Amino acid sequence: MIARAITGVGVVSPLGVGRDVFFAALAAGARASQSARIESFDASKYENPRIAEVRDFDAARYLGARGMRTLDRLSKLLVVAARQCLHDAGLKSAGEWVEPAAGDASWAARAGLVVSNAYGSLEAITELDRVALLEDRRYINPSRFPLTVSNTAAGYASIWEDLRALNVSVSDGNCGALDAVACADMLLGSARADVLLVGGAEAMSEPLFVAFRRFGADFGPSEADASSASGCLGEGAALVALETPEVARARSAPVLAEVLGYGTAFAPPPHPGSLLYAAPEALTEAIRDALRDANLQATDVDVVVSGVSGMRAFDGAELSAIEAALGQRPFVVAPKLAFGETLGAGGALGIASAIAYLRNEARGYAVRGELRGPVRTAVVTSMGYYGNASALVMRAASS
Amino acid sequence: MVQRVFVTGVGVVSSIGLGKADFFRALEAGTSGISSVTAFDAVPLGRVRAGEVKGFNASDHLTRAEQRRVGRCSAMALGAARMALADAGLEVADVAGPRTAVVLGTTMGEARILAELDREWITAGPEGIARAPVSRYGSTLLSIHIARAVGARGMVLTLPAACAAGNYALSFSADLIRTGRADVVVTGAAELLQELQFSGFVRLAAMAPDKCQPFDLNRQGLLLGEGAGLLVLESAAHAQARDAQPLAEIGSYGISCDAYHITRPHPDAAGSISAMLGAIERSGLRPEDVDFINAHGTGTKHNDAAESKVVREVFGDRRVPISSMKSMLGHCMGAASALEAIGCIFTVQSGIYPPTIGYETLDPECDLNVVANVAQRGKSDVVINNSLAFGGYNAVTVFAKPGVLPPPTMGKPEARA
Repeated sequence: MIARAITGVGVVSPLGVGRDVFFAALAAGARASQSARIESFDASKYENPRIAEVRDFDAARYLGARGMRTLDRLSKLLVVAARQCLHDAGLKSAGEWVEPAAGDASWAARAGLVVSNAYGSLEAITELDRVALLEDRRYINPSRFPLTVSNTAAGYASIWEDLRALNVSVSDGNCGALDAVACADMLLGSARADVLLVGGAEAMSEPLFVAFRRFGADFGPSEADASSASGCLGEGAALVALETPEVARARSAPVLAEVLGYGTAFAPPPHPGSLLYAAPEALTEAIRDALRDANLQATDVDVVVSGVSGMRAFDGAELSAIEAALGQRPFVVAPKLAFGETLGAGGALGIASAIAYLRNEARGYAVRGELRGPVRTAVVTSMGYYGNASALVMRAASS
Repeated sequence: MVQRVFVTGVGVVSSIGLGKADFFRALEAGTSGISSVTAFDAVPLGRVRAGEVKGFNASDHLTRAEQRRVGRCSAMALGAARMALADAGLEVADVAGPRTAVVLGTTMGEARILAELDREWITAGPEGIARAPVSRYGSTLLSIHIARAVGARGMVLTLPAACAAGNYALSFSADLIRTGRADVVVTGAAELLQELQFSGFVRLAAMAPDKCQPFDLNRQGLLLGEGAGLLVLESAAHAQARDAQPLAEIGSYGISCDAYHITRPHPDAAGSISAMLGAIERSGLRPEDVDFINAHGTGTKHNDAAESKVVREVFGDRRVPISSMKSMLGHCMGAASALEAIGCIFTVQSGIYPPTIGYETLDPECDLNVVANVAQRGKSDVVINNSLAFGGYNAVTVFAKPGVLPPPTMGKPEARA
């Protein structure tokens, strides 16, 4: 992969909204409260519903009151993250695109979105299913129907933020946001956009909560986490502005970090009857693949921002895969234990977290090894639930 | 050097035929796949017609273990993937490994599994939900199931790009090969007919009562359809090393986003025009090189008017033959542009333009050279596949007879000499 520059971050997370708030929370070693009142649905009938939500999330505060009724929670999370990211990258100011350089096309025509999401708007689908089942299919609200389509949140983000170069939705479970970077890399490489907002979004909803609970998703304390903090299901959206270093230089944009390599692999469960599978061999191969892509060695890696989330079977496989790829005692952190398992957004919040480590603003959430000196190179890892795994190599911005 | 990308095999599960041979015959004959819906009771909705897949038995294509772990959407995709591999003359042993990827498009994936889980939950509470199907929902599973079946160990990805998903999947798959990230990609798209989607299109007043008549003055909307269209893409080097006969070369693609309305195309069609021009120019071609357009042609007032504007803008006075397979298949949503891509390959191979059936009256707003009711023969060196989707997505792909396209590049069109 040719190095790609990250010039902006937009984060809407259980640790707060906006890059500065998110980085400050990571620096302080904060953890999202899992016990507060649940806002995204009526949880009164559930015993001890531990989830990490974006608290007091009022999209109208960022987007204005108009048009809010047509958006679901997923779209709101994503649109706010997109707006934050464009402003953080210096591409927008006070809600408007900055002037392009003389002779250049508008930024709207040169900017696009590549976004991962795992489960779509379960909120909207369930809302319409409820009307269809309890009342009549003929009464489902046509203005809510488009929300049932998986790429609608991405479509709304383009409409709200005027991103016209392209719009790509990616679905690969927990790995989707890292795969989105690989897609963005190809799109930048073929000059289909000058800047791409890349990341993921996933919204909390009652059906998502119920599905994970019913399935018996066993979020508990990570066996390796000294604090014994428990993981839980989360939600959020994170986008980074990705561009070629040349485009960033030409517009004098400060570079926050660089993406150097991507790798992915799939390994099926050994038993034909199984579907769910934590595949350490896939993640090991994905990390090696990403390091090859970045032209780096295992010994170059200073920190692994893992997807360890408190789901024991997957955490164990992930940690052993990291050790198999990088040798004994790499420094591995698990910020998901702070903001929750955000599925399609997980890798994106991982990338945003990695930037904080690469800027030496975050140090905590260790689950393996210890920090040895300044962080120059980070690997972000994601493991899917079906044998899929992806990894990304990032580097601190050259000073 | 950027590798050429060839289509070496196709597999089809559709309302007008299972498998390449039946599908191609039906396209030539102008067979309608539209029938009364049997998957659910549509009568109270006042609309009952759709392009439902008939005669597809998962047990003919899938192992018992596969049948237990997949939903119907994945079953159709997996059946079509096995057909495509066989059509390409490939065994699992030939493609198994890290250099093979799977990229699938869809709108909703396993929508029926989610509908059933919702039904159990809403009528019986959380404890009423059967546990096993929970893990069978999620659009990423389409590509996971196929990767398992064909032994792919590289990228597994699903692109939920609504009604342009097939073109998205093909475009990214071709780029994976061009950028050296894969040698073989099993790609395409799948979609099933599902009650909530059907009801939603009825409530949007987008569904025709009886037939889908793209570009016709009296068109009354779309009909839904379902199916799976899968393709095997190979790098030139991989295909040559095994003396494979390519069915077609896949050229570049154009994509854009209207950023205008969540369901309607932009009336000035600027995004769609730039996607079509981009696909042609990035393939090293000019509009005059295009012999046939496989249209998006949904049969709705807005879509067909906007698409006609695009064709007029891109091709000017040249009346390129154009046709919509949706007149036969209905709108197979995520699977539509993948099935239409296979239609393009049929045209490239045979020189036959499939007809737009049910075409009766010229609409001055859609004054195009529509291949009306009966297939036509003509030049078929270069064929383009147009698609638009919810979310303002536009995506266009290019297919050509092997040997016609100039060497591929990854850069901007003006980078070509």
